[in-house]
Amino acid sequence: MRIRLTLGLTDRPGTLLRALERIAVNGGNIISIVHSRERLTGGYVPVSLSVEFPSHEHFERAKSGIEEAGIPVLSAESLERSIETVLIIGSIGVEKLERVFEGKGEVISLAYGGGRRSPYVRIVFSVNREERESLISSLEELAERNDCLLVREEV
Amino acid sequence: MISCGIIGYGFLGRILAKRLADYRGRGLELRMLANSKGYLLLDGDVPPGDITPLPRFRASSPLEPVERGLVDLLVVLTPTNVRTGEPGLTYIREALGRGVDVVTADKGPLVVAFRELTSLAESMGVSFCYEATVGGGIPIFSLARHSLMGDRIISIRGILNGTTNYILTRMHFEGLPLDLALQEAQMMGLAERDPSLDLEGIDSACKIVILANALLGVDKRLGDVKVRGINQVTSDAILAAKELGMTIKLVGSIEGDRLSVAPRLVRLNHPLCVHGTLNAIEFKLDIMGDLTLIGRGAGESTVSALLSDIEWILNRRAYLRGGR
Repeated sequence: MRIRLTLGLTDRPGTLLRALERIAVNGGNIISIVHSRERLTGGYVPVSLSVEFPSHEHFERAKSGIEEAGIPVLSAESLERSIETVLIIGSIGVEKLERVFEGKGEVISLAYGGGRRSPYVRIVFSVNREERESLISSLEELAERNDCLLVREEV
Repeated sequence: MISCGIIGYGFLGRILAKRLADYRGRGLELRMLANSKGYLLLDGDVPPGDITPLPRFRASSPLEPVERGLVDLLVVLTPTNVRTGEPGLTYIREALGRGVDVVTADKGPLVVAFRELTSLAESMGVSFCYEATVGGGIPIFSLARHSLMGDRIISIRGILNGTTNYILTRMHFEGLPLDLALQEAQMMGLAERDPSLDLEGIDSACKIVILANALLGVDKRLGDVKVRGINQVTSDAILAAKELGMTIKLVGSIEGDRLSVAPRLVRLNHPLCVHGTLNAIEFKLDIMGDLTLIGRGAGESTVSALLSDIEWILNRRAYLRGGR
């Protein structure tokens, strides 16, 4: 699993190395590092790392190790994305759909069909895996409020 | 000789009665046939192999022979009422309470009073078997309780209603609208005149409740299942799914504490994507991973499950006799 970790490093030599060691011993493979010296706040320099971990447990152990080394983990965000397909059977406006997706997922294709007699909309979208259930639940609630039926994919 | 009685002398009852004629040599004799209006005792003058056309039943409570101690093993095949469990619930409760082994294909009593009935059977030291209530002839409970004993079931999902699966299949392959596919299913005897239990997903939800209670040790009721039926599914929507290599199926699932029945998009190469009246059930197991069973979920195949339960009871009785 791919994670974006943002650490708060003190501007002293060797701090980043201690964090990287904790990641390495837990099987983390570093994809990129962005060191934002210009964003120094409260004595910390935020450093953003994209890391591939073998599992969630490895990530959790690395995170604990970094914190135990006295380095604050400012944020940790999954970069895993999944492609989902849903059908909404019934009539539903595109504006309402767009509001649900705002900031949560990216619509890859959106196809209306069925005419007035049996309208539906088929949506293919990408979403951060951790937010998948929340986004689909929001779509389901929207469908129910509009007397529509949401049909999600069985994986 | 073990005396067997059947309450519910319809399609399944007639087939089972004929099959049981072969069991005389195995120490089991069919002694009673009953329906809601009365019963008939078979005292040797009516050969069990030749009991059609429907004989005249004695107008009385079908439980009378059970109360008189004439039945050791009762098969309950009454029509299902999923809200009250009756009349099967009373028959099963009475029989188990009198120390009679029970086999049933009636879902209602299990949906309404699963824990009560299984506890009663346990306290009376008798068998209560219900393989035929879910998936017709597919050996779900016996497989889970015997062959999968060393593993742990994490989740269960499946296509559990043959009627809706037939309708959705016809909509997928022929582009039929739902009402026409339903009419066709009714003409073929696959759907009831009132198909609401099937179309609204209630029948599948009952099966999900039984599976959860029996295999995952929970105490769930019909109201605990989030149910959406197929009433709103259109052939245009199925066509839209088909364009992406999918179709729509009515899927029941148990994941942790969540029980649900809803139409789902299923890829055409997915193990659960079975067509026609077939049922499919998939276990997710701790060690083995996924295990999928496919088979006929209704009709004559259900008799296979009833006979499997009867065989199990005969073997258990033989074992207990030997143990003494």
